[in-house]
Amino acid sequence: MSTATATKATRTAARVADAVKVYGSGDTAVRALDGVSVTFRAGRFTAIMGPSGSGKSTLMHCAAGLDTLTSGAAFIGDTELSSLDDRRLTLLRRDRIGFVFQAFNLVPTLTVAENITLPMDLAGGWGDASAQEWIDALVDVVGLRDRLHHRPSELSGGQQQRVAVARAFAGQPDVVFADEPTGNLDSRSGEEVLNLLGRAVRQMDRTVVMVTHDPVAAAHADEVVFLADGRLVDRMEAPTADKVLDRMKAFDSKGAPPS
Amino acid sequence: MNASVRISVSSLRAHKRRFAGTFLAVLLGVAFLAGTLVMGDTLRASFDTMFGNATSGTDAVVRSAGTITTPGESQGVRQPVDTGLVSAVEKAPGVAAAEPDIQGAGQLVGANGKPIGGQGPPTLAGNWIDDPKLNSYQLAEGRAPSKSGEVVVNRGAAEKGDLRIGDTTTLRTPDPVKVTIVGLATFGGEDGMAQVTYTGMTRSDAEKYLTAKPGEAASILVRAGPGTGQQELVDALTPVLPKGVEAITGQELAEENTDMISGQFLSLFTTFLLVFSGVALLVATFSIHNTFAIVVAQRTRENALLRALGASRRQVTASTLVEASVVAVVASAAGLAGGIGIAAGLQALFPAIGFPFPEGDLVISGLSMILPLAVGILVCLGSALLPAVRAGRTAPLAALRETAVDQSGASRTRAVVGTGLAALAVAVTLTGVIVSPSLWLAGSGAILALAAFVVLGPVASTTAVRVLGSPLDKLRGVTGGLARRNALRSPKRTAATASALMIGVAVVSLFTVFGASLKATMDQTVSRSFAGDVAVSTPSFGAGGSGLSPRLATAISERPEIDTAVGLGRGVAEVDGEGRALTVTDPVALERTFDLGNVQGSMRDLGDDGIAITGSEADKLGLKTGDTAQLAFTDGKKQTFTVRAVYGRSELAGDYVITRDAWAPHRTQDSDTLVAVTFKDGVSAADGKAAVEKVATAYGNPEVQTRDEYAQSSAGGIDMMLTLVYALLALAVLIALLGIANTLTLAVHERTRELGLLRAVGQTRAQLRAMVRWESVLVAAFGTVGGLALGGFLGWVLVKASDGASDSAFAFAMPPFQLTVVALVGVAAGALAGVRPARRAARLDVLRAIATE
Repeated sequence: MSTATATKATRTAARVADAVKVYGSGDTAVRALDGVSVTFRAGRFTAIMGPSGSGKSTLMHCAAGLDTLTSGAAFIGDTELSSLDDRRLTLLRRDRIGFVFQAFNLVPTLTVAENITLPMDLAGGWGDASAQEWIDALVDVVGLRDRLHHRPSELSGGQQQRVAVARAFAGQPDVVFADEPTGNLDSRSGEEVLNLLGRAVRQMDRTVVMVTHDPVAAAHADEVVFLADGRLVDRMEAPTADKVLDRMKAFDSKGAPPS
Repeated sequence: MNASVRISVSSLRAHKRRFAGTFLAVLLGVAFLAGTLVMGDTLRASFDTMFGNATSGTDAVVRSAGTITTPGESQGVRQPVDTGLVSAVEKAPGVAAAEPDIQGAGQLVGANGKPIGGQGPPTLAGNWIDDPKLNSYQLAEGRAPSKSGEVVVNRGAAEKGDLRIGDTTTLRTPDPVKVTIVGLATFGGEDGMAQVTYTGMTRSDAEKYLTAKPGEAASILVRAGPGTGQQELVDALTPVLPKGVEAITGQELAEENTDMISGQFLSLFTTFLLVFSGVALLVATFSIHNTFAIVVAQRTRENALLRALGASRRQVTASTLVEASVVAVVASAAGLAGGIGIAAGLQALFPAIGFPFPEGDLVISGLSMILPLAVGILVCLGSALLPAVRAGRTAPLAALRETAVDQSGASRTRAVVGTGLAALAVAVTLTGVIVSPSLWLAGSGAILALAAFVVLGPVASTTAVRVLGSPLDKLRGVTGGLARRNALRSPKRTAATASALMIGVAVVSLFTVFGASLKATMDQTVSRSFAGDVAVSTPSFGAGGSGLSPRLATAISERPEIDTAVGLGRGVAEVDGEGRALTVTDPVALERTFDLGNVQGSMRDLGDDGIAITGSEADKLGLKTGDTAQLAFTDGKKQTFTVRAVYGRSELAGDYVITRDAWAPHRTQDSDTLVAVTFKDGVSAADGKAAVEKVATAYGNPEVQTRDEYAQSSAGGIDMMLTLVYALLALAVLIALLGIANTLTLAVHERTRELGLLRAVGQTRAQLRAMVRWESVLVAAFGTVGGLALGGFLGWVLVKASDGASDSAFAFAMPPFQLTVVALVGVAAGALAGVRPARRAARLDVLRAIATE
């Protein structure tokens, strides 16, 4: 199935091939990923879905260079991640990947503005005037202009996640990985964050890969890939919440372990 | 209670690392204290044994009863006894042998032409007593002196001066005497009595060089015949002795000797070390308190859960205290063992560096076991008390809240109380320094100032870190900025961490400033009151050295280049019943080479019954020119002197001046402490100095120094003292740095998720390490700057208070170079303290750090 989509002549933002991740060893070994191959195309909003313990977070961590595969390969663009040492992997995350985590996305000692530009500040350079303009535009898109000099602790949870979204796109990365970005939010704030991610992809030609267990969230994506027991089991184009929910229920009835 | 114990033990086991810093701080402080006590006791016991052995053959000592003690001396000057008494003593019942014991100062010159010893411990000379039981020195090699010019020296001195049997050298008595070494001696089985050098001459040589006139001895040593006890012997001797002469047992003499060493040297030595172990423990208190405060804050949720599950306040408080007690007891015990180890090590080390450490086992008294243990446990428990009480106050509801890291600090109350304390400190200090000079007031002010600094720390830390860290943003970009903000996160914690270092640095800078001020004072003294061109002196300070030959001044003044050369001798007498040091000199020449300030009356004709006194002493005694004062000398004679002059400046010339003629009838061994020389007009400094040096060579080669050189060498001892002080304070600073490292490690643990986030979005390991290190540097810089300010202020107070409370004027000096070095060392040490926590932080697993709970 993955080979079928790969034939489409589109740019690849990230992909994994035959990804295997084993935690522990011997009797206690757990295969979190069991031979997953998937391509995330550029300019698309992809959601990774699956029940708890299906390996969806592990897939994201390995694809984003936060964790290493036991076997198989992970690529960002054409760069194979296992060939990079810690330093180059860090620089790759800094320059080519954006992150939105479920919670604890912001450095409490930095202001909103400083949090947004953190990856670029860490790189030590700001690039050109267009980078400035881009960030300026981003601030308006996420609607935080009046909060730029506040500390994260002075913001609501939804506002904090919007800052995280702005931070993730600030460096114009190849791909933004979002790990349950709405998991800690009420539905209205969650909706705002998901809309932001969607607009970034559709209006600004960005790439987003989002891990979620929420069918409503997954419905914001262009495509959903389903994981169960560490394997890729299905893909769905143009998802809706109902269709996704149905597909998930199908897993349960097939006897996939619920947790 | 049982549950509390179980909880604390399991928590200790789980968080061993957190307490490593506390453990080390207690261990080091206790080891220092225990080492000092054990070493003090061991030295004391060893000296006891040594003196006991050395004088074991002497059953009684006959000597004059009266002594004159001048201020600042613990041992008085005793009048000699008539050696004619020996025959009377020998006839007393029970006496087996009696020998006169002549004692004086005699400094040996080593094979390289440099004098041996004289840097503190006395350089003694005396008659070699042939009766081996009465002689406290035993012949180890060679033979006893049999004719004039032959001497026995103690083996330690010979080794130091590279002298061997058969060598000929010079003995400064202070007149240079050519001597040939014919034997080497030991004292109580050791190569010498600590660093004291000893030269034994024939009796006639000793009488000739060491006493004012033949027929005098310091004392008569008596040995009892078989069956006569020491007390019996003294009882038998007492009736045959004239008035003013006493007999004491050998036992009493040994005790006196030991007391002298213990009282003078050992007590000073141990007190000195105890003060510094106190500083180390004070610093440790801050570190330990800080660690417990942080641990309790981090454990808020855990403690709240315990409370929610039904643990009482007392149980939660108790579990923290039990934890502290375990650390306290284990660390104190380890520290005690370490201290004993240090003492044992030093005992082995001292002989290796040429300091004969008397043999004997380590003496470990009950006190030196119990005191360090008690202090260690008390410091540790005391430091943990407040955090433990706070732990008990945790509300059960806190378990449900997100863990809030302690962010309190700059409260209004704190600012008000701190400012009040600071104002009070300044007021008390200024009163003690300026209004009514008193060391007590100034000292109280200093302690208040310290308290004010500690209280104001959290208030000041925010501003201070902001200012100190402001270059970091530019210098290190976002890494530096993050470091600065991390240091600003909990002002209270930053301040508490920095306080420990602040105290260490404050004491270091206090001594630095005080030392520099003392040097400046000496410099000022010399340049103000010394009007001569060169000074001739022996390179010594304290009681050591034998002084200069009184003939040296005369010999120098005979040279054509020289205008005036005046020797300053030293005498003692009681003036109005108080022992006083006299300057014995030529008053006319004195006036030409020293600036005596405003002189009332005339120095010209003191004659043999006139005296000159400084204004301050004259005021105290209510004397003015024309009045009379009665002086009592060591020979028991009293003489009335007329005050012929009152002079203003006494720094180098001394408080009382009499002529050599007036002193002659009462003199003991003659020596000058200083010869001041002025050149004739037109003689160049180099020529003049060369001329003086040529003469001095024949007098045992004392040092000839220009005014500047003289001023500098007077201050030489201060540098040595400062080096020792710095070495001792290094431990306190080390403990403070352990505290910084510990706080940072705890902070890193606390910020695990944040650090993980930073790594995830692209902070490299190197950047993360730099961030933690810079935070450490900032905290250290805050402590160092605070310490410099406090130490500088305290130094100023000490100098001004000493100035006000004593007669001599003290100059205040801030040594910029040394203080800069202190500042740099403080900051560099901060970077060092950050290395381990930084490495730990960099090793964090990114995933675990960002994983949601």
